[in-house]
Amino acid sequence: MNFGFNEEQKSLGDTVAALLADFPALTGPDPAQARDPAVWQALADLGLFALLVPEAHGGVGLTLVDVALAIEALGAGLAPPIAASTMIATDIIVREGTAAQQASLLPRIATGELRIALAMLENGQGYDPDAVQTVMGGNGVTGSKILVPDADIADLLLVLSRVDGGVGLVLVARDARGVSIRHHADIDPSSGLCEVTLDGAALMDDALVGHAGSGDVVPRLMDAAAIVYAGMAMGMAARMLDAAVDYAKTRVQFGQPIGAFQSIKHRCADMAVAVEAGRSAAYYAFWTAAENDPDRSRSASMAKAYCGEVARDVCNETVQIHGGMGFTWELGLHRFLRRAKVLEHGFGNHVWHYERIMAETLAAQAAGDKAQAA
Amino acid sequence: MDFSYSPQEEGFRTDLRAWLADALPPGWGETVFEPEDEDERAMFRLAWEKKLHAGGWSGINWPVEYGGRGATLVERAIFAEEMARVGAPEGLNIIGHNLAGSTILRHGTEAQKQYFLPRILSSEDVWCQGFSEPNAGSDLASVRTRAERRGDTFIVNGQKIWTSFAQYSQWCFALVRTDPDAPKHKGLSFLLIDMKSPGISIRPLRQISGECEFNETFFDDVEVPVDNIVGDINDGWRIAMTTLAYERGPEDALGRQIRFSQELEKLIDTVAATPRGDAMLIEDPIVRQKLARSVTEVEVMRLNAVRTFSKYLNGDDRGPDASVIKLYWSHAAQNMYEAAMDILGPTAPIAAPDPLSAGGGRFQLSYLQSKAFTIYSGSSEIQRNIIGERMLGLPR
Ligand SMILES: Cc1cc2nc3c(=O)[nH]c(=O)nc-3n(C[C@H](O)[C@H](O)[C@H](O)COP(=O)(O)OP(=O)(O)OC[C@H]3O[C@@H](n4cnc5c(N)ncnc54)[C@H](O)[C@@H]3O)c2cc1C
Repeated sequence: MNFGFNEEQKSLGDTVAALLADFPALTGPDPAQARDPAVWQALADLGLFALLVPEAHGGVGLTLVDVALAIEALGAGLAPPIAASTMIATDIIVREGTAAQQASLLPRIATGELRIALAMLENGQGYDPDAVQTVMGGNGVTGSKILVPDADIADLLLVLSRVDGGVGLVLVARDARGVSIRHHADIDPSSGLCEVTLDGAALMDDALVGHAGSGDVVPRLMDAAAIVYAGMAMGMAARMLDAAVDYAKTRVQFGQPIGAFQSIKHRCADMAVAVEAGRSAAYYAFWTAAENDPDRSRSASMAKAYCGEVARDVCNETVQIHGGMGFTWELGLHRFLRRAKVLEHGFGNHVWHYERIMAETLAAQAAGDKAQAA
Repeated sequence: MDFSYSPQEEGFRTDLRAWLADALPPGWGETVFEPEDEDERAMFRLAWEKKLHAGGWSGINWPVEYGGRGATLVERAIFAEEMARVGAPEGLNIIGHNLAGSTILRHGTEAQKQYFLPRILSSEDVWCQGFSEPNAGSDLASVRTRAERRGDTFIVNGQKIWTSFAQYSQWCFALVRTDPDAPKHKGLSFLLIDMKSPGISIRPLRQISGECEFNETFFDDVEVPVDNIVGDINDGWRIAMTTLAYERGPEDALGRQIRFSQELEKLIDTVAATPRGDAMLIEDPIVRQKLARSVTEVEVMRLNAVRTFSKYLNGDDRGPDASVIKLYWSHAAQNMYEAAMDILGPTAPIAAPDPLSAGGGRFQLSYLQSKAFTIYSGSSEIQRNIIGERMLGLPR
């Protein structure tokens, strides 16, 4: 047992962080300036999208745990959401896709040719994937999706849909007949959140990913996405903690750095503990997903619920520690506050995931009692 | 990163399971529990510790040459999991194993190791910790208990306070002042004191919970052989910092996590069996949210400990991350007991031995006991200072 990252995994994280730092507009004050298409190309040139693709399909064949720190860096650098979405979709296609889907899609994902957006939520339906109303039928997919990050710049949409009485994932080209896209007005314009209306949208050949209903495809997607979002949330939280600590060391009031006041110092200490705790939860979840461990769903929900709360709290405290500066547009802390809200509500918020943890825990406890009785 | 188990490690688990099945009294945790009476309970725990030792399961992480098993990190984690699974009793000599033993292993002379370590492992010697004094709590370096050297002995005079388990202890490790003229951190020494020595008296102090686990300990011309010093004279602060690193570190946290996860499981079972109106309490969505948060926090306690172990194994020094671990578990555990009281609702105040108390009244007692978590082993405020200054580099 070892709960540490190796040098290669660490250096991947450092490399992604360094690359994103070359695009200061990503974390600059104006969210509208933060959607630079050059970022995608730079990440693709770096080979980020090849990492999860198996070698047989032109990739590197790494697992989610290998890219955990790279994903943290995507969060910390407020990278365009399509990067994470594409990686989540890659995981699903690698794990659950048909041989034909893998052969046609994975090599193009590896080179950065395909951007994939995740179309999950629907108006009036809450977070539960089983409640989805969008339906795949003989003449395409029909339904309406909301809050799809970067849908407008995607090549493909991975759409949660009713299929043959169950729930599954289907692939639709963004420019297919019957697809229309509208930008939301929303709290984080840099996330490119869109409403996607599917009106008998034409399916790609071999559009259904995995098996509908019975299989693991939807739970796997929810788990992988929850874990990736948790990882990004921790990247943001760690970056905000650093900002708060730096400011506490340099801002002088009453003749001393504010960090010498215990009420500030202790807040920073509590944030540091929360960041470490959140990372413990997130890293373990990355491992369970990489191994497809029986604890995968429980740990994914723990990570998503907990890290979402940590990121929210740390962003809030960091604004407070910056005083009036923290409230300015120019300093740009609001960018993290905004993105954190989007991550918190994507793929189930903490309430939804805590409920899922409880269901998993009760099931495990019942199974344990049964085993003991036998 | 890897959490999987090798066949050897699974073998370790199987052996331990088999041993536990034999060692625990029949009906343990269902019809058979620890004794209610405090002293009887202490003796029960001591007997359990001795049983663990007889079975070769005491101090499994200690080096083989001093009677341990040289267990790997994984084996320790397995040990913790299996103990939790069966709801094994706690030990009495936790201070001996975790603090005295670890400190002697690190800084003791060979003769001290040869003499003390096997006796700790077998719990022949139970230990207590003589650090705090009435005027030296958080400000530990201002202890005043004096030790004057006369020939081959130190003569110790003074008072310690909050000395847990002194009434059951054969030995005490104490931080004492050997040079009153030196700056406060530089005049301290770390002594091992035989509790049977003439001149030691103890007076029990009653705690929040009504129990008397801790004491005042008085030293009146107590003679301690000079051979019983750990480290050099006036180098006691450095030695005591090692003790504190273990007191706050992942070993300690993992042991406690076992207890908390057992209690949480018990809480969930209790809530699942408690009717509330027409439904069961476990169906209440607010109750489920609170429980799930504690499930998560108790799991994070374990992960934090394992992650820090891994850092040590990968070559990092023991540093302020022990404070991160301690600050986390202490508050998470308090949250859990607070949640338990919230969840029980109107019957929350009913305690043992009232027949209507939930879970045998354990949650009320644990709730009261949990108030100590953020005070001992360095209060939360002290941990926050350490994290703020030594980990984050904030100014003093
Ligand atoms: C159940 C229990 C068992 C114990 N067992 C032992 C034992 O076996 N052996 C032993 O030696 N000791 C033991 N202790 C003592 C324990 O270590 C001390 O209580 C602890 O170090 C705090 O010291 P104090 O009680 O003097 O409180 P104080 O130091 O007086 O603290 C009072 C309050 O002031 C705060 N405070 C103090 N200094 C600062 C600061 N610089 N900044 C901000 N806030 C500050 C504290 O956090 C606390 O909230 C035990 C305590 C308890 C509760």
